[in-house]
Amino acid sequence: MTNRVLHLNQISKKLCMEKFKTISLPSWLPGCILFLLLILLTGTPVFAQTKISGTVTNNQNKPVSGATIHVVKTTRYTTTNDAGAFSIEAGKGDVITVSYVGYVQKEVPVTSDNMHIQLEATDNQLENLVVIGYGKVRRKDLTGSISSISGDELRKTQPSTFDQALQGKVAGVVVQQISGQPGGGVSIQIHGVSSVNGNNSPLYVIDGVVIAPPGNPGAGSNPLNTINPSEIESIDVLKDASATAIYGSQATNGVIVISTKRGKSGPPTITYDNYFGYQRLPKRLPVVDLPQFASLLNARAVVWGFDARPEFANPQYLGKGTDWQEELFRSAPMQNHNLAINGGDARTQYLLSLSYFDQDGIALGSNFKRYSVRLNLDNKTTNWLKIGTSLQLAHIKEAVSTTSNSVINTALSLTPDIPVKNLDGSWGGVTNTSGWVTPVPNPVGLTALNSDNRKRNQLFGNVYAEIQFYKDLSLRNEVSGNFDFTTEDIFRPTYTFGKVQNTVNSSSYSSNQNIYTVVRNYFNYNHLFSNKYNVSATAGHEAQLTTFENVSASRQNFPSNNVKSISAGDATTAANSGVKGSGPALESYFGRLNLTLSDKYLLTGNLRRDGSSNFAEGRRWVTTYSGAFAWKLNNERFLKGAAFINELKLRLGYGVTNNQNIPPNMYTTLLTSVQTALSGASQFQSNLANPFISWEKTNNANAGLDGTFLNWRINFSLDVYNRKTDGLLLALPLPLFSGTTTGWSPGAMTAPIVNIGSMSNKGFDFRIGSTNINTKNFTWKTDFTLSYIENKVLSLGPGGASANLPQSLNGYVFGKTVVGQPMGAFYGYRFDGVFATPEDFKTHALPVDQSGNPYPVSPNGGGIWYGDRMYKDLNGDGVIDTRDQTYLGSPLPKYQFGFNNTFNYKNFDFNMFFSASVGNKVLNQLKISQNIPTNNTSYFSSVLDYAVVAMKDPNGSTTDFNNFYVTNPYTTIVGLRNDNTNENSRPSDLFIEDGSFIRCKTISLGYRVPEKLLSKIHVNTCRVYATMSNAFIITKYTGMDPEIGSWNPLQAGWDNGYYPQPRVFTVGVNISLNK
Amino acid sequence: MKNIYRIIWIILATAVLGACSKSFLDRPSESQISADNFYKTTADLRLATANLYGGATWGVWHHAAFLPLGDILSGNAYFPWNGDWVQLYTRTITAGNSVMQGGWTGLYNTIGQCNTTINAIEQKADASIPVTDRNAALGEAKFIRGVAYYYLAMLWGAVPIIEDNSKLIQQPLINRNIVSDVYKFIAKDLAFAAQNLPATDATGRVTTWSAQGMLGKVYLTMAGLGQSGGTRNQALLDSAIKYAGNVCKNSGLNLLPSYYNLFRSQYNDNPESLFALQWATGPAVAWQAGNLMLTYSPSNDINPQQNGAWTPLQPTYDLYLNYTPDDSVRRKASFMINKDFYPELNAAGGGFTANGQYMKKHIIGNEKDNNAPTMTFTASIQHDALLRLADVYLVYAEAKLGNQATTTDADALYYFNQVRTRAGINPVTTINMDSIIKERRIEFAFEGQFWLDLVRLSYWNPVKAVNFINNQQRVTITDSSGVLIPTPAGQTGGPTPIVPATISAFTLQLPASEVATDPKLLDPPVPYY
Repeated sequence: MTNRVLHLNQISKKLCMEKFKTISLPSWLPGCILFLLLILLTGTPVFAQTKISGTVTNNQNKPVSGATIHVVKTTRYTTTNDAGAFSIEAGKGDVITVSYVGYVQKEVPVTSDNMHIQLEATDNQLENLVVIGYGKVRRKDLTGSISSISGDELRKTQPSTFDQALQGKVAGVVVQQISGQPGGGVSIQIHGVSSVNGNNSPLYVIDGVVIAPPGNPGAGSNPLNTINPSEIESIDVLKDASATAIYGSQATNGVIVISTKRGKSGPPTITYDNYFGYQRLPKRLPVVDLPQFASLLNARAVVWGFDARPEFANPQYLGKGTDWQEELFRSAPMQNHNLAINGGDARTQYLLSLSYFDQDGIALGSNFKRYSVRLNLDNKTTNWLKIGTSLQLAHIKEAVSTTSNSVINTALSLTPDIPVKNLDGSWGGVTNTSGWVTPVPNPVGLTALNSDNRKRNQLFGNVYAEIQFYKDLSLRNEVSGNFDFTTEDIFRPTYTFGKVQNTVNSSSYSSNQNIYTVVRNYFNYNHLFSNKYNVSATAGHEAQLTTFENVSASRQNFPSNNVKSISAGDATTAANSGVKGSGPALESYFGRLNLTLSDKYLLTGNLRRDGSSNFAEGRRWVTTYSGAFAWKLNNERFLKGAAFINELKLRLGYGVTNNQNIPPNMYTTLLTSVQTALSGASQFQSNLANPFISWEKTNNANAGLDGTFLNWRINFSLDVYNRKTDGLLLALPLPLFSGTTTGWSPGAMTAPIVNIGSMSNKGFDFRIGSTNINTKNFTWKTDFTLSYIENKVLSLGPGGASANLPQSLNGYVFGKTVVGQPMGAFYGYRFDGVFATPEDFKTHALPVDQSGNPYPVSPNGGGIWYGDRMYKDLNGDGVIDTRDQTYLGSPLPKYQFGFNNTFNYKNFDFNMFFSASVGNKVLNQLKISQNIPTNNTSYFSSVLDYAVVAMKDPNGSTTDFNNFYVTNPYTTIVGLRNDNTNENSRPSDLFIEDGSFIRCKTISLGYRVPEKLLSKIHVNTCRVYATMSNAFIITKYTGMDPEIGSWNPLQAGWDNGYYPQPRVFTVGVNISLNK
Repeated sequence: MKNIYRIIWIILATAVLGACSKSFLDRPSESQISADNFYKTTADLRLATANLYGGATWGVWHHAAFLPLGDILSGNAYFPWNGDWVQLYTRTITAGNSVMQGGWTGLYNTIGQCNTTINAIEQKADASIPVTDRNAALGEAKFIRGVAYYYLAMLWGAVPIIEDNSKLIQQPLINRNIVSDVYKFIAKDLAFAAQNLPATDATGRVTTWSAQGMLGKVYLTMAGLGQSGGTRNQALLDSAIKYAGNVCKNSGLNLLPSYYNLFRSQYNDNPESLFALQWATGPAVAWQAGNLMLTYSPSNDINPQQNGAWTPLQPTYDLYLNYTPDDSVRRKASFMINKDFYPELNAAGGGFTANGQYMKKHIIGNEKDNNAPTMTFTASIQHDALLRLADVYLVYAEAKLGNQATTTDADALYYFNQVRTRAGINPVTTINMDSIIKERRIEFAFEGQFWLDLVRLSYWNPVKAVNFINNQQRVTITDSSGVLIPTPAGQTGGPTPIVPATISAFTLQLPASEVATDPKLLDPPVPYY
């Protein structure tokens, strides 16, 4: 028997050798594998086995404990002990692999029975696998522009969602927080803004599952917030067309590929991560207190001739009043617990992770809780079949009752004379019957009474089967899905806040389900010819489909404010609605070819054909292609002598990608049923159809240089790119007379989606990392990233130079997109002081009425007077009209920086990370509304510097402007006159501020408890740390926070009182148990 | 065996690779009908045109601009606590004023819905639909489009004429059209409607009488256009006489006997109502998709859900002066005076006693008063009329007066006095322009008409029109121990010094954002025909 097995083994070995040489023997393959299998099953040793032992150290000769030792082609595993020592059954001729997280896996032939193996840290990252879409390559074999960030690096900033952590860490990616509310959204732009239709989000792929692109989720919550940052192994950001083209139509804005941690062969490891944090409002805006407020109103009543309020007669005796920012914001706790178990054997590896995250918002009434379970399994079922799954179950509970985007705005809407609670314990509110005083509800009361709870259950994951036909050819079948179930429960009770009353309680409840599925099948082929020419090819097909269903119901007149179940309301007030449907549906064929010649020249070609249901038949299909070339200069003979160069690679890539990301069925007119008294349901035309709508194309050229020097201590990467997008998909903001809207406007049709104009994004990204000091006890590492982007609109279609995609605020256009300028730029007048001297009326142009005649200089209604704002007559026609508006800057940052320093001293580690944004402008909306003395909200304290009009001769003329002047001529705040003929709030550079900033994102100090102490309690590693996030910010911006992300690129940088990013203090611990 | 498994895998994989069926990419909406498979029957056309009578189609203009432009701007009404409305009252309107935005947007929304309906019927209506039904549906849509353009032309003068909104996708920036062509366009739409609408139809739908009455009013307006010398174009006056007279004499319609009842929901769509908006009610009616008139209510006590009494309009002293003591029916139906008692408002609560001077018209009480349990304060069930038979009577009388200083024409007097006697006041024996202006102002107070009447006057007698608004007593009414006096200076609602108006006051400026979007609007208007 033994003889026979030996015999078979020899035959199989021979066959296998032959196959490797010639490849063209598929008929032999089954037999070969079958025989190998038999050998494995019988377990018959070919060579004599003995026990070998050894030690594993790192490059500083420190023992590496917990490293996995595997004897290749066997099921024998072991791990090193605390001293880095191991022993395992193996013999000479065997090959063992040694692997440990953070080190390059090493394959070593057994040469002696007491081996010393030294591992190289993976700092140079070149050996790390990088996800490239339907496959992985080693970083050193990359041809495209791809940046990677490890999960450990990501977690240093303690993000509640992972996307927040990318800022400044990845070159070429502009990250801006949209809302600081717990779990709030983030806008991410890779290599610029190429789409004007409101979504420049990259494609997110998590373990192969595409997460539907985050659209505007309303109250600032983030569709990516179900993903637990603790579970992320690495993130790869695919930036240029050669990297993204394989993902086809959804990838035109780049791809962010998230790989979660997977099980590793070896004994189980249990890790527990936990932190507690404490968040605070970073800054309060300067508002008037009650005495200041009262004096302002008193002064105003004198000018107006009415509205004197008796309760303010003696401002000096009034208390400080209510500081609504203090009342609405709190110090809020957050905590995170994460428990993971990972392990496995040669056949099956598993990772099970449980986590709980709980964050209260710094604004009252906001809370975010996440419970999640992840199970990742990989199983090598047979020698030719591998199956596996990634599954995540997440449950999110969010309270969002008052935390709309404009929470600061809410805090500023009430004046300091209104108490939060009255002396009798009832809620305070506006009691002044003077109609100027808007009856704004008490926001603190609202948060306490109203409830708006969202629950989200998400299951996403994939299952795959991978068949190895023979060594070179495999087929992977994948089914992935994202099942998202959301409910929202809103209850609005009856209440009385002074004059503000809600006499009818009401509730609404909605249930949504969104299901995304993809079926994907592709072949991989890989072969090395003549030990020099490597060919790898991928070809496949995929089909993707999104379906959605939602219903909502509402009722009023609940018997009590405590009975909130929807069915408790009055049935006669019931209203319900629902929609369902499917789409977009996408079908694609794709292929990729990689050639490596002599490990010097790398070539990649991608081809993909996509069909999308978003377009009319005949316009559905499009081709995406790209090509790239990389040259490993360090492998050339002429650089062999340069020992200081470890790696040097030049990359060139070009490709065309396409975009179809628009709402479905926009090529035809859709009719919505609405009620009228005539016939019940009537048909309202809800959109202006454009049957010609089709794909948006982006041409993308990229050149890059990667290098590593000085014994891997310095590495850098530089990319220069030029992207040009044609046929921009855009919800066209037409003039109002079109009867269409791009926003919310009852009765208007949804604006047509068009392919219009073109835009260019040029820029470069630079990243350099260096190990500055590397001694036994002390290391210092620095990373620096720089992204530069220049966005320019090249044409805007049929409107020509006059088309400008206007964006309005309070009836005035503040933002325009003009050919030759960056998109969504600010436009307006140039502020030139206030009318302060008689001379000003002679030297400054006046605004005109509808007939083009200047308004008279007069203190009466309809006149221009002292204290009104002056604007520059830029076209010199002697009057101020819309033609005097000019470009006032772009909301897009020119540069974003990241600067990271990590220090290790013995068991201590210290990290400090800065991110910065330079050259962007912000529209400070609160500066408009809170600085107008005639408004009736609260005010910034700067309003007290209102223009004071005085008479030169108190007995002189009361109508001749020569007899007046302003006592504080350099003010920017208008006078108290009750007239706005001058349109003092028209868009001007007064409200457009420099939004550049440097933010200290993280300061973190950690301590690793010495192993000696831990070994007694069977703990492998234990690190405790303290972190301060958003520690400080350096900026000239006068608002709360200049970082204003937006889902809508046409309204980027519009600060309407965003939920600010809190300053967070956390303490945490990471524990890992082994054995 | 392993071999077989692998072969199965390959076959499966190839089957999937062999692509999805062709229909995989067909994803029509499952919640909405598409225009491509609608318009198959007369009933479909009726559903399409029903949309043009109310809802969000009219909601924005109706809420944002109807009364503010018609009655505040003209000096009939005042509300001190809304800056944009105060601008109208003091005629210091800025280009960013939200009322103008709302009026302009809302009217063009209506036109957009009419245009797409008209074009869809013309291009897609099934051939099996009888031609009369098809033309009647087109007539409804053209009538409503004509009304919307009429408001635009009267408020802004030269405006862009749009017949096909989808053309704006290719050419979004267009010029304004000269005002005479806008009127010509309106007259063509209304003439089509007059020819193709039936003499009677389901309650609430417009008929040929609606179209002819409106056409009479438009011709009367056109007769003065460009005639700043004080006389109007006689041929156009004759057209006004023809159409308005036809409605007066041949429609078979009569005034509702009670003026007061015209504005009660129980009398919705009464025979006098030639074109009334057909508002739906209930909590499902969205913001600005319903009749929001109840937000003008003076008290939450008389409103549905006891809520929404946000912006009670006050009558001006200038308006009040027009009413004689005899004219109490119309006065009490139009506005309240301190201590007036209204038994039908909050009847279950014992009625309502006014505690000041406030607009009454359109304030119809709460759910119980109207026997409408689902009525909300954002969706009043009142079908307020944009064209009443009384309006056509007064148009007829004015057209008959024409270029004469006074008239004693029997026809003119008959219809003029019909309006007066219905209100319980004495008939007159002679009519002049002043008496017509005054009668219209009283009859249609708080119906959004008076500013349009002044604009019509300003076309041919600018001096009279300018003087009229400069000489108004734009102050509210104060009850001084039972005597109604103009509110004195220094009090809210008292006189404000205002720069005197010129003729340019009768043309609104274009919304600021609109000019920024389409700079060609600043160019001189161009002919359409």
